[in-house]
Amino acid sequence: MRALSRTVLYIIVLAAVMAAVLPLVWMVSTSLKPEGQILSYPPRWLPLTPTLENYTSVLRRFAFGRWTLNSIVVAIAATGSVVLIDALAGYALARLRSRTSNVLFALIISMLLVPIQATVIPLFLLFAEVHLLDSFAALILPTTANITGVLLMRQFFLGFPMELEEAARIDGAGEGRIWWSVVMPMAAPALGAVAALTFVSSWNSLLWPLIAINSDRVRTLPVGIAQYMGSHAGTSGSAPAYGPALASATMATLPALLIFLLLQRYFVRGIATTGLKG
Amino acid sequence: MANLVRSVAAPAPRTRARDQAAARYLFLVPYLIVFLLFRFGPIAGGWLISLTRWNLIGSPRWIGVANYRALWHDSLFWVSVKNTLAFTAMAGPMLILGGLALALLVDQPLRGRYLARVLIFAPYAVMSAVVGVLWNWLYDTNFGIINYYLSLLALPSVPWLINEHVALVAIVLTTVWWTVGYNMVIFLAGLQEIPTELHEAAIVDGATFWQRFRSITLPLLTPTTYAVVILTLINTGQVFDQIYVMTAGGPGTATLTLVQYMYYQAFQTYNLGYGAAVAYATFAVLLAVTLVVHRLFRREAAA
Repeated sequence: MRALSRTVLYIIVLAAVMAAVLPLVWMVSTSLKPEGQILSYPPRWLPLTPTLENYTSVLRRFAFGRWTLNSIVVAIAATGSVVLIDALAGYALARLRSRTSNVLFALIISMLLVPIQATVIPLFLLFAEVHLLDSFAALILPTTANITGVLLMRQFFLGFPMELEEAARIDGAGEGRIWWSVVMPMAAPALGAVAALTFVSSWNSLLWPLIAINSDRVRTLPVGIAQYMGSHAGTSGSAPAYGPALASATMATLPALLIFLLLQRYFVRGIATTGLKG
Repeated sequence: MANLVRSVAAPAPRTRARDQAAARYLFLVPYLIVFLLFRFGPIAGGWLISLTRWNLIGSPRWIGVANYRALWHDSLFWVSVKNTLAFTAMAGPMLILGGLALALLVDQPLRGRYLARVLIFAPYAVMSAVVGVLWNWLYDTNFGIINYYLSLLALPSVPWLINEHVALVAIVLTTVWWTVGYNMVIFLAGLQEIPTELHEAAIVDGATFWQRFRSITLPLLTPTTYAVVILTLINTGQVFDQIYVMTAGGPGTATLTLVQYMYYQAFQTYNLGYGAAVAYATFAVLLAVTLVVHRLFRREAAA
């Protein structure tokens, strides 16, 4: 009975893992097939004659390299500024504990309830007003007003012992100095979690870039893929070209998946903390 | 003596403390600036915009609550409310119960459970645009692999994304595949906070798995469950990306959700004021649902 139920458990786990992974395997497999074999019947899991023609076709027809570069630049800039700004603010909110700072904190987290979509129309008008639509600034700046990062950092610093800071203070170190050389080095796990979450949300972000961007100069990967590979992108009447679409999907996914596997510890910690304390 | 010491020593720490507080408020400044400019300001401004008629060309005209009155009589708006609620009602329970079930599963002392956790979570790392492109292909009516396996089981092929009765369900399934791992991770963290002694004691007393689940796991997991439920409701209520890529609201209006409709009004027909009203109505709907859930949890906690 014991052994039987264990076997059943293993089967269920295996089924869940397969359901999660097989669509991605199928994506990679399809992207390596020549157009004729993609629509062949019955479907084959391994390409008969693997080819990179879908990849070269994407790279030839679209500014795919540029989109990727733009996505990387935006994600790194967004992550860097969010980590810095949120670590400063989270530390201040954890240590201040005055009525003003508590009110500020309550105001900040109450904005979590307002869907981010409610901000895109005003943001569009704001950036149009200062002629910054279709620029990197338009992509990066709004992401810096992130809330979960501040929440995570504050939570971390609340549980962080104050003795070290006190010791540095007695040694005559200023507040900025203490933050940078005593507090920050110890905050690596929380910083990693905030960085991982910010990077991924910037990397995946679609709605706002879709609204703010209209040239390849600053177009990011999700926007490029959605606009040129989505279902309504194809010219009407023509069969959808799955090969190039899945080749770009694979190119956009594999590096991110690799980074995710390397950083998943931070990622998981960030999500878990948001859930437990948020 | 004590008074003397205090009066001599006091000024120094007090200025010190004031400097310290001042420095810390300074630490808050960069965040407060971006928060006001890019979050709080736009949220407040959106409300004002929703009270205007504002097309991209021309200046805004103040029209009070006329946009909201128009929304009330706008059948497309009610279609998108209905679709959004239907999407949430289908995806929400699957994401919440599925996340919990998966967390319980990979929390068991099974070999390879760490690898299983990472792999089940992996789809979450795939960007929404790619999720849409990939599932367009999986769902293809004639050549899609899902219909192929259905045919092997002697089941009829399903016109996943082209039939108006099925399209929303198809998007729900895609969304579950994509994000159920996220809830699993939160639940796992919650499960690991529960002291193992409680389970051990219950096992000694002869409690079965289900008895332990009902009287130990579930009650102690309540804060986590609450967080997962709220996060899931907010996220499913704001669904946009995968629909934009897969069906763009169609066929017809079968997958038109509130955020889709906001996007359509504001950025395809450039009725910015009306779009802002849709955004605020979305917020109102989400807030109402959240408050109901919040009440339910409070009552549950009190009982």
